[in-house]
Amino acid sequence: MRKGVALLLTLTATAFVAATAQAGHRAAAAQTASISCKSTMKIAFVTPLTGGAGFLGQEQSSWAKYAVKTLAPKLGLKIQLVLGDTPVEQGPAPAQALAQKYVADKSVVGILGPSTSGAVAASSQTYFAAGLAHISPSATRTSLTKGSPLEATAAFLRVVPGDYIQGPSDANFMISQLKVKKVVILDFQEPYSVGLADAVETTLKAKGVTTIRLSAPNTTTDYSSFVTKVPNDADIVFFPTQKPPDAQTFAQQLLEQGKKAKVFGGDGSNDSSAFKAAGSYVSNFAPDITGIKADAGIIAGWKKDNPGKPVGSFGPPSYGAVQVLLSAIKLACNADQGVLKARHDVLRHVKQVVIKNWILGGTFKFSTKSNDPLNAKFYIFQIQSDGSYKLVG
Amino acid sequence: MDTFIQLTVDALTLGSVYALIALGYTLVYGVLKLLNFAHGDVFMVGSFIGFGTLQLLGGSSHPVVPTWLLLILVTLAGMAGCAVLGVVIERFAYRPLRDAPRIAPLISALGVSFFLVNSMQLLFGATPRTYDTFSLSNGALYYRGIDIGNVRVPLLRIITIVSAFVLMVVLWFLVNRTRTGKAMRATSFDREAAAMMGIDIDRVIVFTFVLGSALAGAAGVLFAMRVPTQVTIGFIAGLKGFTAAVIGGIGSIPGAMAGGLLLGFAESYTQGYISTKWSDLFVFSLLIAFMIFRPQGLLGRADIRKV
Repeated sequence: MRKGVALLLTLTATAFVAATAQAGHRAAAAQTASISCKSTMKIAFVTPLTGGAGFLGQEQSSWAKYAVKTLAPKLGLKIQLVLGDTPVEQGPAPAQALAQKYVADKSVVGILGPSTSGAVAASSQTYFAAGLAHISPSATRTSLTKGSPLEATAAFLRVVPGDYIQGPSDANFMISQLKVKKVVILDFQEPYSVGLADAVETTLKAKGVTTIRLSAPNTTTDYSSFVTKVPNDADIVFFPTQKPPDAQTFAQQLLEQGKKAKVFGGDGSNDSSAFKAAGSYVSNFAPDITGIKADAGIIAGWKKDNPGKPVGSFGPPSYGAVQVLLSAIKLACNADQGVLKARHDVLRHVKQVVIKNWILGGTFKFSTKSNDPLNAKFYIFQIQSDGSYKLVG
Repeated sequence: MDTFIQLTVDALTLGSVYALIALGYTLVYGVLKLLNFAHGDVFMVGSFIGFGTLQLLGGSSHPVVPTWLLLILVTLAGMAGCAVLGVVIERFAYRPLRDAPRIAPLISALGVSFFLVNSMQLLFGATPRTYDTFSLSNGALYYRGIDIGNVRVPLLRIITIVSAFVLMVVLWFLVNRTRTGKAMRATSFDREAAAMMGIDIDRVIVFTFVLGSALAGAAGVLFAMRVPTQVTIGFIAGLKGFTAAVIGGIGSIPGAMAGGLLLGFAESYTQGYISTKWSDLFVFSLLIAFMIFRPQGLLGRADIRKV
């Protein structure tokens, strides 16, 4: 019996070691395998397609598909977009699993996303080791590109500004436009909201605003007791959730208890179908592109492919991220004379990309000091009585 | 004083839901000595059945019946759907293991729990669903209510608390004033003796699951009337319902009610007066404390064993 168990354990260990070595070999082989620029290359989009943040991934992927469809032929590239789902409720595990999968697939030459900061932190090392550039249209956590220790690697870039801009931007809007005296700040005991809440709190306190900090577990669904702690004279409750229905619930429970404070959500709560409490505020890293004349053709084409859907503000940065990635692939192909010798060739060319008539307005280029866009900003919207979002800052 | 009143209202609302879930745990444990870990997910399914029924009846923007009738129908649908689900679970996951070692149905219960969550995720996805009772009632369920001092108790809270208490009273009546209830109590006391007295044990057990699951369904609907529901809510709700049942005295119906309310108060007052970060820590510490110092719970009976 004992010998049998020992033999079984030995065989299992051997099989495990062999499989690990094989996977490592495949990953290494995938990293170094060259690929013809005339063949179909894949880019993978890692985003939450289901779950509380599924609205984000659905919107982003529709714009990414449109971008690949229209931009790849113009650049002379054959690109296949593959989608990977990372529901926020499942933590970092899906992002890690997808990273392994795409690293092992030699036809994947670049990554869009991950869309969420937690997924970036969980998978950036894997992509970096494989030389895969991963460009996010929405992961805004400051520590991904700034501070110490950095949560992402040199292979991570983003086309939207970080929370180090969002936090002070939101706080300064509250001070200068809303003339706040007392603000309640909530976090959800996870990195995105804690980082953003800290940034807002620091700026508000520095300008003499009274702040009250509350902390709710990320699994909270009923905020009644938290609403009870909101003073009657509080002006704003800063609510950096990644689940817009929770922002709506909180706003309703504020009304229920007769509190005058308005909800101010971060970019994670930007969803007009779920968060529509009139008078609330939302900040986001992209403006409403329907106001940008140069985008009229893009918008018309996207609407044709997506009838009945609103333009939104998460989708256009995804279009932009595709544009940056495809441009980098093109530059790498040109430099390598039509054969992409290694994945990190794309990574080497990404920061050289400059896009005039950028979908979010102006010209896009990366900062020389970080992997963030140069001169990017956040935009503030107020929710109207009909549920629409009006740009106010 | 206003804070105390508001927190008390919050506690009663939360506690009522926990009590309904705890009753399901305690009913099944009392009769079968089984901890039905799938119970929290039955609660979750109930909330989705309610959501589906709401959509069938026109949704929150164009309901085809008056709001009061809609809420009753949605609740009844949740209860009926979960009652059927309870019967199915008992028949296929627990009955074949009735004479197996006690760990077997426990493991089966865990399997049922995962099965329910993953099935619902496949069917409905992981996106939260909201009843949007605010739009349904044009805000009336939130703005109208009764005033206690400076605190308004909205209609929706009153509906949740009163509905839960009515259901608890109905349950007490069923268990204590009907023949079937008598049979349930006899079975929980001594199953073999009850069988020898001519009680149809299978029928009693099925009825127990019907009752417990229907209460979980009702809890799911009452919960989802106020906050969005999603496939993951069953885990924490089930855990807290189980905690309430243990604190109250597992196997004791009044204990489950008391445990649920105590849990609601503990959570609400901790968030309000100590720290919002500490409420779950405090609640589960309470569970450990009861297990150590009063394992029979608030109203349970201490087991007497012949030595």
